[in-house]
Amino acid sequence: MASSVSSQHDQVLVEVKSFARVLTLNRPKQLNALSLHMISRLLELFLAYEEDPNVKLVILKGKGRAFCTGGDVAAVVHDLRTGGWRAGANHFMKGYTLNYLMATYSKPQVSLLNGIVMGGGNGASMHGRFRVATENSLFAMPETAVGLFPDVGASYFLSRLPGFFGEYVGLTGARLDGAEMLACGLATHFVPSAKLPMLEAALCAIDSGDPEIISSIIGRYSEQPSLKEQSVYNRLDVIDRCFSQKTVEEILSALEREVVDRRDRWISATIQTLKRASPTSLKISLRSIRVGRFQGVGPCLVREYRMVCHVLRGEFSNDFLEGYRAILLDKDKNPKWEPSKLELVTDTKVDRYFSKVNNEDGEDLKLPVRSKFKLPSYVVAKL
Amino acid sequence: MDRAYQRTRILTNHLILNSPAQTDCLTSNECLSYSPPELSEKYAFDVSEMRRLMDGHDVEERDRLFGLIIQSKLFNPRVRGGKVFVSPDYNQSMEQQREMTWKRIEYLLERGVFGGWMTGKGEEVEMKRFACFEVLGLFDHSISIKLGVHFFLWGGAIQFFGTKHHHDKWLRDTENYLIKGCFSMTELGHGSNVRGIETVTTYDSNTGEFIINTPCESAQKYWIGGAAKHATHTIVFSQLNINGTNEGVHALIAQIRDADGNVCPNIRIADCGHKIGLNGVDNGRIWFDNVRVPRENLLNSVADVSPDGKYLSAIKDPDQRFAAFLSPLTAGRVNIAVNAVYQSKVGLAIAIRYALTRRAFSLKANEPEVLLLDYPSHQRRLLPLLAKIYAMSFGANYLKMLYVRRTPQSNKTIHVVSSSFKATCTWSNMQIIQECREACGGQGLKTENRVGHLKAEHDVQSTFEGDNNILMQQVSKALFAEYVAAQKRNKVFKGLGLEHMNKPCPVIPSQLTSTTLRCSQFQMDALCLRERELLNRFVADVSQCLARGESKEHAFNTNYQLAEDLGKAFSDRAIFQTFVEAEATLAAGSLKDVLGMVRSLYALTCLEDVTYLRYGYLSVDNATAVRREITKLCSELRPHALALVSSFGIPDAFLSPIAFNWIDANSWSSVQH
Repeated sequence: MASSVSSQHDQVLVEVKSFARVLTLNRPKQLNALSLHMISRLLELFLAYEEDPNVKLVILKGKGRAFCTGGDVAAVVHDLRTGGWRAGANHFMKGYTLNYLMATYSKPQVSLLNGIVMGGGNGASMHGRFRVATENSLFAMPETAVGLFPDVGASYFLSRLPGFFGEYVGLTGARLDGAEMLACGLATHFVPSAKLPMLEAALCAIDSGDPEIISSIIGRYSEQPSLKEQSVYNRLDVIDRCFSQKTVEEILSALEREVVDRRDRWISATIQTLKRASPTSLKISLRSIRVGRFQGVGPCLVREYRMVCHVLRGEFSNDFLEGYRAILLDKDKNPKWEPSKLELVTDTKVDRYFSKVNNEDGEDLKLPVRSKFKLPSYVVAKL
Repeated sequence: MDRAYQRTRILTNHLILNSPAQTDCLTSNECLSYSPPELSEKYAFDVSEMRRLMDGHDVEERDRLFGLIIQSKLFNPRVRGGKVFVSPDYNQSMEQQREMTWKRIEYLLERGVFGGWMTGKGEEVEMKRFACFEVLGLFDHSISIKLGVHFFLWGGAIQFFGTKHHHDKWLRDTENYLIKGCFSMTELGHGSNVRGIETVTTYDSNTGEFIINTPCESAQKYWIGGAAKHATHTIVFSQLNINGTNEGVHALIAQIRDADGNVCPNIRIADCGHKIGLNGVDNGRIWFDNVRVPRENLLNSVADVSPDGKYLSAIKDPDQRFAAFLSPLTAGRVNIAVNAVYQSKVGLAIAIRYALTRRAFSLKANEPEVLLLDYPSHQRRLLPLLAKIYAMSFGANYLKMLYVRRTPQSNKTIHVVSSSFKATCTWSNMQIIQECREACGGQGLKTENRVGHLKAEHDVQSTFEGDNNILMQQVSKALFAEYVAAQKRNKVFKGLGLEHMNKPCPVIPSQLTSTTLRCSQFQMDALCLRERELLNRFVADVSQCLARGESKEHAFNTNYQLAEDLGKAFSDRAIFQTFVEAEATLAAGSLKDVLGMVRSLYALTCLEDVTYLRYGYLSVDNATAVRREITKLCSELRPHALALVSSFGIPDAFLSPIAFNWIDANSWSSVQH
């Protein structure tokens, strides 16, 4: 677990390029999973850059084949087991604070998503102004398969995708490629990976943080990729019909009705995925996305923090630890969820995940104060 | 002096090129910038808890429907200032607006929103349906009226006047929109006076059919929502003439179009044309040229005609029989009252949010300009209206509960309360939206900012389902009847909240302190006092007329001013009572404290009504004290203004650009995109 200070420092590489700062997530063996140290380091850097008039733009990328695969679940579980739920929650508190800072950042962040971007990796990129996908991009929010729920502000950004695509992506953990990310709006641009070095050089050469200018520079290297014929994004009608249903149970029956009409491998696979996921996760995830649709990004993160505290405390379900065991530790891919069925996860149980943590040491997420910075209008719209 | 100096300086700067002052003017920190009120205003109470209290029921159902609307392209989403807003495109032609309304209904139908609306039973179903109407009304008045005609008027008529075979035949098809219903009651010559309608129905015992006829132009059915384009069936109200005897107004089902939308033989339909609002509803006019319908089409829960043509009715009294036919209108009235409250919420949320971000004039030179809501005058304009809408929300929740828990015994109460609340809430709504429009200045005139447009869309509320003035007269008449009944039988008052009449008359202290003015018992006393005194006076004046040998009708007509004051007094007191009851359910805490201030502001605003001075219920000194206290309450509620409008639970997308970043929404770059 312990790593030396020097190697920790190398986990986020910093390059100073006139008015740009290029930050590289550098834990390629772990697919750049965010350690607590990396989160702290990013927070530190972002806070400092905001005060620094010589920084106008922050570029974030990952080393190796992943941008970032999310939080360091193994470390969370370790801290949870040794230090109690509060120690586990600390990871999330730091992470969500970083997500909020990025979402309300006064300077543009450009994330180069040239590889896998999952879970917490999305939290570190989707809130920024520019998200550049490539042909190597692979997006997913796979939390329901490991007993968690799409967090890191996903209830904000997934709920704002077209139609009910956000519910689909959040509940099934569906994987999207770069073209799909661009089509649904998760990515703002698509640039072939071969052109990334040129794009990066161009961005590092500018002396402005004007989003219009940055956008036009990225635009110069962008392409309009076509969706694969099999793309889920071509199935929006089915997704809207089914994932707009009121409850997870109704979503499943709507999907089942669709396969009665015609055999369809994709729908059958979707049903299977939902049936494999944690019933508790599915229900709290759906509620989270639905509630998040009407909340600003700050309130979304505050609520998600309450939810994750309840998950870690394991009062109602231990699916998080079970998911970790089955998917990441033993890798038997056979989690024993408890409650085991959707109908056992009643509305009252779901309600509890959304309540304030009732404990003397339980406290709400404290969002950093943003009023001292002049926030760009695209940030103001998210508050 | 200061202003003159400033002007001179500005003009000088214009004239002297390259002066440093001019350069300063061009730097960005001299510009106005939008600062979201969320960053500066603090919530002293839990707004989601307040929202639950205000909405009262089905919060999750509401949010699901909000989500269905926001996430669909059919609801005309537009991005302004980085946020999505939904609202119909009112710049479309009448025909296009009608088609869009219908497409939106089809979308909601496919999503199962109407499931159980006709075939389901019980309190829960009915409350859920009300919640859905409130949400849809927040999007657009046309869609809620178009649905309301189909479900509440057409569907309601079948439920209330029909018997089992009608229910079996029509309700499921209505719920699934296999047929599209409308409701033909009003005629060109008769609106509120339904008993005077001229359409005639006779019975042909040879064929077992009824024959519906429009005998003259004034008998044409008018304003029939859905008739101009979409409706396939209608409820027809007509004078039922059996063997030469007019049995009064009865309701039948008639088909007016086939499934392909062709108008049926012997039916003529014309369009009511473009209206000042509600153009998404296809109001039409219908003439019946001896249209034959089968005998079973008579909605026969109240009265029937046997195959051989004999008139049969369980209700012998024609007055009661007629009253029974008006019951579906009650549901409509409940809907209208509640919807009016929600429209006011839209206006207030927009105007108050704007007032928290828009500045005008500096108090001193070189000082920042002052936020609109920091002006006491602006607070005085908007905050009493905010308090009023809080009160009316509780009133609306009470009214809905009264309706869904109706029994034959509660019919009278429902009629009186729904009539008075419908009139009060809709009149207030127009007053509130007008004030909100003005409070937004020129921005209020843009259709996309909603608040001004709502006026045209909702003007009709004071007319349909009963003209407000007539409804209020009915309230006074009902109160008169209660009074006379209690007197005659020497009994106590029971029901309609009139129990306070049995107690001694409350006394208003000669010197009103702030503490007294904020005490709910005092507030209740003051409202009861006015109602009691006006009722006594109204009864005395009407009785005097009767003693002089005038008819009852004439007596009521001549005492119309008192009748109006009394109707208002009843309504204010009844609404206040629901506020006090809602407040009583809360545990002590910041939410209850703020709500207490809101209640006081509402009550004192009622006490500012001219009747208190006209009839001397308040001394001039006391009236002054009331006015002073209102100003104080306004300034104390100012810090809670954002939290109070956020508690309405209306998603941002249902407000408008001026409620958010109105600078960015109007930026040059937004013109280009």
